[in-house]
Amino acid sequence: MRALPLLSLLLLVSACDDDEEDTTFTDTGGTLEIDGCGYSITTRIGAEPPKVSGKIIGMDPTPRLVHLGIVGDPKTSIVAQWRTMDDTTTAGSIRWAQGANLPAAQLTNETKGVRFRYEGTGSAMYMVHQAHLCSLEAGTTYSYQVGTGDSWSPVYTFHTAPDVTAHPDAETVFGYVGDSRGGYDVWAQLATQIQQRMPDLVLFSGDATTIGLAQPEWEEFQAAAEPLFASTPVVLTNGNHEANAINFYSQFAMPGDQENFGFTYGFSRIFVGNDSPDNPSDITGVIPQAMDADFAAHTDARWRMMMHHRCQWSSGTRHGSDPALQAAFGPIVDKHKLDLVLNGHEHMFEMTKPLFGGQVVTSNQQGTVYVVAGGAGAELYGFGTPAVWSQYVESVHTAAVIRARKDTLTMETFRADGTAVPSGAYSKTHL
Amino acid sequence: MALAALVPLVPSIARADDAADFRDASTRRDIDALERIGATSSMWADDAWVEAARIAEANADYARARRDLEKAIETSRALARARGNASIGSGATSTTGASGDSILVQRAQADLARLSRVAGQSGEWGAVIAEEERLLPALQSPGDPRAALDALGKLAREHPGYPRNAMLMVQIAAGWEREGDADRALAWLADADRAAIDPLDRLRVRADRVRVLIRAGRISQAEAELAALAANSAGANGAGANVAASPGLIANLRAALERAKLRRDIRWAMWALLALLAIAATVLLRRGAGSWRAAGRRLVRPPVEAIFFVPIAGVLIAVASTGNPLVGRAVWGIAIAGVVTSWVTGALLAATRVTLKRAVAHALCAMLAVGAATYVAVDRGHLVDFLVETWREGPDR
Repeated sequence: MRALPLLSLLLLVSACDDDEEDTTFTDTGGTLEIDGCGYSITTRIGAEPPKVSGKIIGMDPTPRLVHLGIVGDPKTSIVAQWRTMDDTTTAGSIRWAQGANLPAAQLTNETKGVRFRYEGTGSAMYMVHQAHLCSLEAGTTYSYQVGTGDSWSPVYTFHTAPDVTAHPDAETVFGYVGDSRGGYDVWAQLATQIQQRMPDLVLFSGDATTIGLAQPEWEEFQAAAEPLFASTPVVLTNGNHEANAINFYSQFAMPGDQENFGFTYGFSRIFVGNDSPDNPSDITGVIPQAMDADFAAHTDARWRMMMHHRCQWSSGTRHGSDPALQAAFGPIVDKHKLDLVLNGHEHMFEMTKPLFGGQVVTSNQQGTVYVVAGGAGAELYGFGTPAVWSQYVESVHTAAVIRARKDTLTMETFRADGTAVPSGAYSKTHL
Repeated sequence: MALAALVPLVPSIARADDAADFRDASTRRDIDALERIGATSSMWADDAWVEAARIAEANADYARARRDLEKAIETSRALARARGNASIGSGATSTTGASGDSILVQRAQADLARLSRVAGQSGEWGAVIAEEERLLPALQSPGDPRAALDALGKLAREHPGYPRNAMLMVQIAAGWEREGDADRALAWLADADRAAIDPLDRLRVRADRVRVLIRAGRISQAEAELAALAANSAGANGAGANVAASPGLIANLRAALERAKLRRDIRWAMWALLALLAIAATVLLRRGAGSWRAAGRRLVRPPVEAIFFVPIAGVLIAVASTGNPLVGRAVWGIAIAGVVTSWVTGALLAATRVTLKRAVAHALCAMLAVGAATYVAVDRGHLVDFLVETWREGPDR
């Protein structure tokens, strides 16, 4: 009898436990340390602080828009991201195991995710789920699926970045493309072409959507490329059309502040810069300083690349070259002898001759090649008479793959149907 | 003793030599040298076959590319067995699971599948691909692209079984549209629709037809085809599955259509306004001058306003011509409209009695005329879209 009040209390506590999950939305943003990963994730104002996945399973927890990203070291970590049909489910985790194309029953590891909501236009609320896997093995293939309860995604496969010290014969392949902006039929074709070349990472140079706050556009963008993004992590740079929208930063986990950051993948050090910042003075201040510091701290990288949206050098008639960016970024590009600068913004393909100090030099060994591949689906722009520094220009929808080995860096460009653009090929040998 | 001390270094030296050989052969794009490296037991052997395959593909030698990819797979697996793990090539350390293959092997298998799809199982479409890739850049090189367009058209017609035939036709259509021949562009897209096998290609073709129709100003036809696309109607020949056009794509095309309709309506209104102003100016000039002959004499003599404005227009045109060609063309149109307006208004003012009311009305009509001409000028080449985008987002820094 004396146990009855205690039993009642226990029952009351367990009942309350299910109801305790606080679903109040606060758009203050926040930071959450990710267990076992050695990093934290930060959401911005307009999103709620990230929390560990909860217990609520909504009306339809079916995962959708599954895509991968990187926050930590890509040799040993990856982030799976997804939404659910209902946007109210808070529960979520990832099941995974080492090996390619495993059946779901063999995904014997399970890691709980994190989640947070962000507010879109018209007070619509979107729930983002992330699952961070760390302590993975370098250069290894894994299978995974995301979901909760009885609702799980298909099984996808990804691989981590290679340890190039242990495997100097490793090759890393980057898909590079930008400016899809509503042309989702073309984008689907190009995403398929990129996927057929099995990249390790996709570099998207901005303007995925026409209006950064338009959530349906983001969903179109991701849905058209889901087979690619579910197996290959993507790193994006903010374009003028993303306009630093909360939708962009919330949906794509990326290193650092997600705006100006560097990371190493294989033999390459890649710096991503936001050339459409909310504070325009960043163009001449924060961004070149961050870029300079990043490359200075990674002088051992065999290859150095930068990705930002607006084109420093362009023969296009819509935007053309950007002297302000040339002045702000060019000296840092030259100082650290970058191999490639990857841009979008101009909806066409162009590749410069190697440049140093704004002048054409004789070989890729002596200068930097600037590439504009802004033809992932947006309406194409024309070009004027190519300048003396232009190697090749074509008003066409294209993507490229950049292959980095220890001693060679190459790029090959192809159209939406896979036909090669021979003059859009690049190669450099590390001397 | 000294020689014995060197023995442990031999494998390292050999590996360094292998790496240098691979690097040098890759840099020279020496396919034969790469294949020789592939035939060794070097850790670079499988990579060498992969590089050789890529060079062969670039050279449109698809049979060789396939063979080299198959050798890459075989070599990589053999090296893995020899070393007792599945970690050879492309840095894979372990790949337990159904395939047990390294990333290099997986990638080579993906390349083989891609080549089979595009070039055929035995590379039978290699020559067609090579010709297509040779001709396509000519469509946008300086000079007349029509010879290249005709050659590509012949290629498409002569190889109906070519896997990329539909997309080849899309490129041809784009080329004819750039030449200003929307009819030919649309005809090629209709052929592409019939030829399309891949549902993604068919979707692309149908979306492109809507785009071309919009750009050609064929609004009602664009509306009809957009409605059909949205309804996901069956293919023209009833064959092949279709990929449903996504809501975003439909919305994007619809927005473009609405913009085109608005611009068409504004353009008609501007031309109507210009016509009305021209008629009004003619009537007023005739009335003020007293006769048609006198009116004609008034017009022949450049009024002081035109004499004043012509040099300014010349400077504007000269400066604009050095910059963006789209802007340059628009400035040409606006400057000429300004000259004509100043000429006509000057002639009118000289022919009629000027009162304050008339002067104000005159000035307003001149502004309307220049405004209407300016819109017509920027509407060409879709420069108005550029201006709207700049207004919305600010200028490029």
